[in-house]
Amino acid sequence: MRYLQAIPLAACALCAPAFATQYLNAEQAQKLMFPDATAFREQNLTLDAAQMRQVETLAALPARSVNWRVVGAYRGETPLGFVVFDEVVGKFELISYAVALEPDASVRQIEVLVYRESHGGEIRTPAWRRQFAGKSAQGGGLTVGDGIANISGATLSCTHLTDGVRRIAAIGRVALKK
Amino acid sequence: MMRRAQPWLGTLVEVSIADALPEAALRRAFAAAFDALALVQRAMSFHDPASDVSRLNRADPGQVLTVDPHTWRVLDLARAVAEVSDGIFNIACAPRLVEWACLPAPAAIHPAYDPATEVLRCEGDAAGALVRKLAPGWVDLGGIAKGYAVDLALAALAAAGVTGACVNAGGDLRVLGPADWPVTVRDPRAPNRAGLALTLRGEAMASSADYFSARRHAGRHVGALIDGRSGAPAPRGAGVSVRAASCAVADALTKVVAASGDPRHPALTSMGATAFII
Repeated sequence: MRYLQAIPLAACALCAPAFATQYLNAEQAQKLMFPDATAFREQNLTLDAAQMRQVETLAALPARSVNWRVVGAYRGETPLGFVVFDEVVGKFELISYAVALEPDASVRQIEVLVYRESHGGEIRTPAWRRQFAGKSAQGGGLTVGDGIANISGATLSCTHLTDGVRRIAAIGRVALKK
Repeated sequence: MMRRAQPWLGTLVEVSIADALPEAALRRAFAAAFDALALVQRAMSFHDPASDVSRLNRADPGQVLTVDPHTWRVLDLARAVAEVSDGIFNIACAPRLVEWACLPAPAAIHPAYDPATEVLRCEGDAAGALVRKLAPGWVDLGGIAKGYAVDLALAALAAAGVTGACVNAGGDLRVLGPADWPVTVRDPRAPNRAGLALTLRGEAMASSADYFSARRHAGRHVGALIDGRSGAPAPRGAGVSVRAASCAVADALTKVVAASGDPRHPALTSMGATAFII
């Protein structure tokens, strides 16, 4: 029995992120980006083939996914804009982030929700990523404010994130713009 | 502790505020810090054709441009670091970085890098913010502007009433206030692991290494670190960290230590900084 209990612990130690910080959860991010909103409504998107092609042309990037998690921000019945949630995988980092779009689909603000690194190549394996799954990015045992104080080292490029934002801006223009 | 992170200057910038401020004051403080980062990106990006840096790179010799006072200050500091490092630090080595595909070409005609040529010169003072282009050439503030942006963001936090904070631009950081801030330095041989832990108080630290930027170009290893005297890539593998009062100085001096391999380089003393290599 004791042996069985030890297995998930050992597995967890192997897949624990090297460096990880949760900055905001989804609710905090949308409130921060639209402080005047009185309501947030789920408006998830499913892109059709034509929209996927348009996104790829606009962003000059693969559209990557058909389904996108979108929340509309409203003050009363007046739409204030949208928040699109996404995550990007780098060489060894996984970044969950939210992009606030104006009603005309221009980018209003970008906030990182969770940042985590892995020791090895497991960042691309579903098992490693599953530990962080959850709609408000609260998985992985991370709570807001957790994480090590500060990391210094060579500058980590955030090309994947800026590409992700460009893709979301294109999706906004194709499928959300009023 | 409230922490937020946004992408600026090609990296993730993390702002941490230790003060227990009311929500509205906290939001204003974060906004002021991120606005400062946005200003530096707008003025000093090599990639943005509208930035001061791009306008200077496209300018013809003899032209005098008015730039943002912050750009003027960074160019002036870059000149000072170039002087105390005997040319190891040189913002005009951008043609090399373009050659190695570390940066995109800002114009069709590619100038050669000549360590002895002064490409531009600050005139007057920061208030006038005039810069004269002296010779064909491209400058890149990638080795100093990130540190300056950290300084500016931290000053914005202090002006917003914050007394304890840290701004970390992808590894170049500065802390504010009387508290000790724990900092972990990446192990250059295993960058996802902690190589060293230390504490900072009221000072800045910047680190440089090539483990994220190194690539092969024409059969040899190149990276974002260059020895300005020769235009050759800095030696590989070492992780250099510099502590100084300001992050702009710390940022620039990491390049001097990386290229010289000397953690006691005289440029450090003359700018009130210390360094270590791991």
